[in-house]
Amino acid sequence: MNLTAGFQIIVNGMATGGVYAIFALGYTLVFSILGIINFAHSAVFTLGAYFTYALLGSQFGFNGLLARGRLPFGLSFPLALLGGAILAGLVAVMVERLAFRPLRKRGADPLLMLVSSLGVAVAIVNIIQYLFGAEPYTFPNILGGLPGSVNLGTPGTPLVARTVQLLIAGVSLVILALLTVYINYTNTGKALRAVAEDATTASLLGINTDRLVLLTFFLSGFIGGIAGTLVGLSVGITGPYFGIAFGLKGLSVIILGGLGSIPGAVLGGIVIGIGENLVPAEHVGYKDAVAFALLFIVLLVRPQGLLGRTQIQKV
Amino acid sequence: MSLLAVRNMTRRFGGLLAVSDVSFSVYKGEIFGLIGPNGAGKTTLFNLITGLTPPSSGDLEYKNRYITRLKPHQIAELGIARTFQNIRLFGNLTALENVLVSQHVHTRSGVLSGVIGTPGARREERQARWQAMELLEMVKLSDRAHVPALSFSYGDQRRLEIARALALQPELLLLDEPSAGMNANEKTTLTGFIREIRDRFGLTVVLIEHHVPMVMNLCDRIAVLNFGQLIALGEPAAVQNDSAVIEAYLGEQ
Amino acid sequence: MDSFINQYGFLIVQMVLQAVLALSLYLPLMAGQLSLASPAFYAVGGYVAAVLSTQKFLPPAGTVFPEPVQSLVIWLATVFPGAQDGLYPAGLVVLEMLIAGLISGVLALMVGFPALRLRGIYLALATIAFVEIVRVLSLNLPVTGGAIGIFNIPQPFHTKFEYLWIAGPLILLSVWFVARLERTRVGRAFAALREDELAATAMGINPTYHKVLAFTLGAVLAGMVGVVSAHFLNTWNARQGTFDLGVLVLAYVVIGGARTFAGPVLGALLLTALPEVLRAVAGLPGLPTWLTEFLREGRLIIYGILIAVGTVFFPQGLLTPEIFTRRRRPPGIQDSGAGETAPTEVS
Repeated sequence: MNLTAGFQIIVNGMATGGVYAIFALGYTLVFSILGIINFAHSAVFTLGAYFTYALLGSQFGFNGLLARGRLPFGLSFPLALLGGAILAGLVAVMVERLAFRPLRKRGADPLLMLVSSLGVAVAIVNIIQYLFGAEPYTFPNILGGLPGSVNLGTPGTPLVARTVQLLIAGVSLVILALLTVYINYTNTGKALRAVAEDATTASLLGINTDRLVLLTFFLSGFIGGIAGTLVGLSVGITGPYFGIAFGLKGLSVIILGGLGSIPGAVLGGIVIGIGENLVPAEHVGYKDAVAFALLFIVLLVRPQGLLGRTQIQKV
Repeated sequence: MSLLAVRNMTRRFGGLLAVSDVSFSVYKGEIFGLIGPNGAGKTTLFNLITGLTPPSSGDLEYKNRYITRLKPHQIAELGIARTFQNIRLFGNLTALENVLVSQHVHTRSGVLSGVIGTPGARREERQARWQAMELLEMVKLSDRAHVPALSFSYGDQRRLEIARALALQPELLLLDEPSAGMNANEKTTLTGFIREIRDRFGLTVVLIEHHVPMVMNLCDRIAVLNFGQLIALGEPAAVQNDSAVIEAYLGEQ
Repeated sequence: MDSFINQYGFLIVQMVLQAVLALSLYLPLMAGQLSLASPAFYAVGGYVAAVLSTQKFLPPAGTVFPEPVQSLVIWLATVFPGAQDGLYPAGLVVLEMLIAGLISGVLALMVGFPALRLRGIYLALATIAFVEIVRVLSLNLPVTGGAIGIFNIPQPFHTKFEYLWIAGPLILLSVWFVARLERTRVGRAFAALREDELAATAMGINPTYHKVLAFTLGAVLAGMVGVVSAHFLNTWNARQGTFDLGVLVLAYVVIGGARTFAGPVLGALLLTALPEVLRAVAGLPGLPTWLTEFLREGRLIIYGILIAVGTVFFPQGLLTPEIFTRRRRPPGIQDSGAGETAPTEVS
């Protein structure tokens, strides 16, 4: 493999990995606060893509309750992206109220929240199917007059990136930067970290845990919605189930990086993104196994993940 | 004769020295008290002996055999049983089942022989139940053998936990604050009970205890820990007058 | 009766098979291990059946086996009735089940020893990864027929309902096995690990051994269900035995009740029947059109909501062990000390 090909793999890997990372951030945020995986996250991610699609004023498909309809207005892409993300965030808040809070209040086994969130995920995915049909959707061209791809190398040694990939990488970076600043430098962010560290003590110190949990779910849904839109832009919305595959890979990402660690989610996403792009073309069928093989290995060798902390068991 | 020898046992948690270079021996048949202020490392020492916490350095010798690197279940098999400071019963299992679990190492039936119910497995099960009921009888819980452990009162749970430990047929029994939460009357009864089981089952007992009169009355020898270090070791009367011990306890007040 | 069987025969067998699958997830849970690996072993079992029955056991009974095996195959192929009228011998299905059980068991040992060092959510995630790896492999390996899978799997019976001849004994045996196990030495060791692993090890229970054992028993059961399902569904591909199935089976267990074997069985029966029930309700006359429409098209929405609501309102599941023991307890003995119950840690 020559150097250019290596760079190409890294560019492609970063683009894929960036989306994995921001998708996985949604899991990580909730996990760090509640210590539980929100399985409805992939459904919210899917919804985000559909919301943005709708807000762009595009026509719905030929099946489902909304067949051939469209919104009476159409937003520009940045506004639609934002709107889709906000709506996805609100749905995530609803998920918290319905599937998590009642069990949390009762101090139930976290396993139950796993199942209730799975139930909500099944419901959401099928509501999508009921409304929008099972068919794939393609986003309208949002790049306007921009070219479809850019050569970052020289004409002799091309290093091609799709413009959409660059857009995705850019948006992912902005989100990561904003989130990092938010968590580390604002009062709310500090309160979030306090709750993640020790929820009981935090609530004794007067931190309103419930409000923060809601906020966390909103953030996770918001970011998940953006991730959904970005993936939809890149490969199209392949149907109501298109989040599920991502949902599973997102799990690999957070385990790889370390559960509850934000830098870990980013690192995990990029490692898996590059790993997948290393699979030679003739074995492309095995690409989807990369994330899970990596996950399995990491769990066996270093269960706390690359950047996670070990937990000391108390007797 | 020494049954258990603890040699230069040290355990660090991060920067904290929970147990620091502690050495002592426990003789066969004695009741050995382990006292010291809160956070002195007593429970950590129990966890080290039972293999729940691996030592940072040091050695454990039990019946002239090194057990330092053994897993908890292997140590239990060798005849070291314990109770827990914060009571760790199998809450959803009945009292009888709690005791039966500890008979695991003394019974053999496997998945198939158990499920099919071979004559051997059935005989073994009958015998195990009979023995378990006897232990429950001894701690006066046999009338509630089929009640889940979590619905027992605090004192009953403590007694059930001792019965569960005894079902392991141990030679060495470690009791972690057995009188916690009991009134003076109950403490007296408990003192008698511990002596009784020591004699009846030929046990050696190590107990962690805060209640000083009980320790003085019950124990043959006492070890005092403070900040992870062994500061005194000997017979109750001697330890009671030891200047380091007095300082450790008075210094705390 | 005949029309009932014609209409619901498929569903009934499906319910029974799902119930066995629920028990396969319940077995590791007995030892406190949340594993979602059942679909992987189910998939493996299905492929064992598909490959053996379409390529190896083809009557006149194959040509590929060394001698004692060959005789066994031929004997099994003829000893059960049905082989005469062109059906696939049911005896060979049983043989496939044994082989699939063996393969699943060995595979479970290989996966279980490293994976079961993990706790709680980590184990669940590792098993999800295992399911996905098996899925991707079956999509790509030649022996599993790639994306198309293997079809025209031979039928041992004339109708789907007759599959009860195999599924019926399988569920009865599994229920008997698990119910008995709960009352034996090994079952109690499982329960102790589930209640408090640390205390259990301090009482002499070898945690690794028992966790791997429980995991392996579940795997064997799932592999056997896979065999029956492959014949039953007539075709087998990578869409069988996915993560989705794992979720579904977990829902059976949680909705039914995760603390007694009866819970998973009831949960599986109810949840498998539910879509059909909703379809039947949709067919009732006199309903407004929109409702009929919704019940028909949106069945899975209701399904998902029921799982969520069921979990929230019945966190213990529909069945708990207390339902069975309360009746048996002699009168006069109460759960004592309600006011002075010691706090117990729930982990």
